[in-house]
Amino acid sequence: MLLDAELRYAGMNQAYLDVTQRRREELLGQLVMQEYDGGPGQEAQENARQLLASFEKVLATGKPDHLAVLHYPIPVPQDDGTTTYEDRYWSCTHTPIKDADGRVTHILQHTSDITELERLRRQVGRLRPADASSALDSLIGGGMFRRAMSVQADNRRLETERRQLLDMFMQTPGFVAVLNGPQHVIQLHNGAYGQLIGHRDVIGKPIREALPELAGQGFYDFLDEVLATGEPCQGRQSPVQLQQTPDGLLATRYLNFIYQPIRNDAGTIMGVFVQGHDVTDTVLAAERQKLMIDELNHRVKNTLATVQSIAMQTARSHEDPRSFAETFQSRILSLSHTHDLLTRSHWEGADLREVLEHETTAHGLHRLTLNGPNVALDPAMAVSLGMIFHELATNAAKYGALSSGDGRVLVDWSVANQAHPQLGIVWRETGGPSVTVPERRGFGSRLIERNVRHDLAGTVQMHYRDDGFTAEITIPLSKEAA
Amino acid sequence: MTNALQGRRVLVIEDESLVAMLLETILEDMGCTVVGPESNIDDGLIAATTEASLDAALLDVNVAGREVFPVAEALRARGVPFVFSTGYGEAGLPEHWRGNPTIQKPFTEGAIRDALMKAMNISLA
Repeated sequence: MLLDAELRYAGMNQAYLDVTQRRREELLGQLVMQEYDGGPGQEAQENARQLLASFEKVLATGKPDHLAVLHYPIPVPQDDGTTTYEDRYWSCTHTPIKDADGRVTHILQHTSDITELERLRRQVGRLRPADASSALDSLIGGGMFRRAMSVQADNRRLETERRQLLDMFMQTPGFVAVLNGPQHVIQLHNGAYGQLIGHRDVIGKPIREALPELAGQGFYDFLDEVLATGEPCQGRQSPVQLQQTPDGLLATRYLNFIYQPIRNDAGTIMGVFVQGHDVTDTVLAAERQKLMIDELNHRVKNTLATVQSIAMQTARSHEDPRSFAETFQSRILSLSHTHDLLTRSHWEGADLREVLEHETTAHGLHRLTLNGPNVALDPAMAVSLGMIFHELATNAAKYGALSSGDGRVLVDWSVANQAHPQLGIVWRETGGPSVTVPERRGFGSRLIERNVRHDLAGTVQMHYRDDGFTAEITIPLSKEAA
Repeated sequence: MTNALQGRRVLVIEDESLVAMLLETILEDMGCTVVGPESNIDDGLIAATTEASLDAALLDVNVAGREVFPVAEALRARGVPFVFSTGYGEAGLPEHWRGNPTIQKPFTEGAIRDALMKAMNISLA
């Protein structure tokens, strides 16, 4: 019997018509699966499924397939209008017939009717019910026939397992693909692989055509090597530039993967099994963590060096240990306060007013007047300005407006030049004792000058005017403008 | 020994002003003249290539988020010896720069003197 690629009857011989008790003109052009009657009962569906599966396998693989035993019940209309079934058992071979391009155009079904063999087997079974162990029995009853049945049962079990494996493989969170032949034609891939390559239609295409952006990244060579040597190839956290969006921009992903050879029964390497995980998130998280640890180490050591500097420079101007301790401690506490502010914002920055308010709190709410808009400071600026305001306030408390009962400090600030924002701060003391220019510059004023110039890339002018000390500070708010 | 560094011109690159002030104080105590201190790589490079006479340099490795190595290259090309200062110590340096005299923050006066003398190949004998 002959079928076309749509599984319609294309021809059959008389023997087929005799056995099936059909006429040629009834069958030609009809779908075989519509004409096949699986018989009565639950077995019918399974019989039909096996037959169709065999045809489909031939179409898909282009190779012959065998059904050792096919139960083929032949419907026999009875005189009373009912249908009975005559059990036939067939052994079938389905052979593909191909055109010049290798496409399967027809399937030839060659059938051996093994019904007599089956009957004989049953007869033997009846004659020697319990311990049938004759040569005949082992040949047909226990032997060949049972073997045929068991091969078929195995095939059915394997088919089920194959489908389950395929399902698992398609749904696994890792990416999976099967590449065939020396050109690495993508035969199959799962959802995770599809996502990795931006859901491009790559089935049936050679890898170099399917994923051209991999050129020069070493992956083609790895695949060629696996085919040539039969040795698996592994990559850990390997960077790859992949086109994941249709705009053509390449994204860097990091992959753990393994390429394994696929061999046929004869041991010949037929293709490559690709399997792996996209570990980009893990790699990036580890990089971020390393950066953070490095940055933390840098900051801690720099902070210690800063504290060291404060200690040594404070010691130079304070011979009395008690006055040294007091001054040193207040400088460290001021630094610590700015750190508290920054910790609250996860070291993203602090507001200028918050940095100033610490000094307001220390010297009395009514004595410092703060006036200006919200200004976001980055961490380095906040630390510098914290130290600067501490020194200004300490000087005011020792020698300036905050040293007598009536004096006050006015702090005004504003931001000018929107293109390159400049922060201008004016610290003005009023109502204090009359001002004299200090004989020598202490650590405090040196710290202010150096901090503004060195750390903030700004300028500072300090005026010791009769009616009160003033400091005018101008600093660029964005580093690029400096 | 105290005179070994007398009158030497030492370029300092350090982004933290307080640390720079400390280095300045320590170097001046040793009789050195401080060039800078420079707070960023760009100014550091200008000083490293244009300052007329430099006897040595003290280079903070991480300067406002950038690495100081271009300045180190410029100094090496001129034959000016230098000392790295870093919170990580020598282990934090790239392979290429290991073995160069390095001081770890926080530092002592003695460590700075020893590292400078080593860099300048001045023996104590």
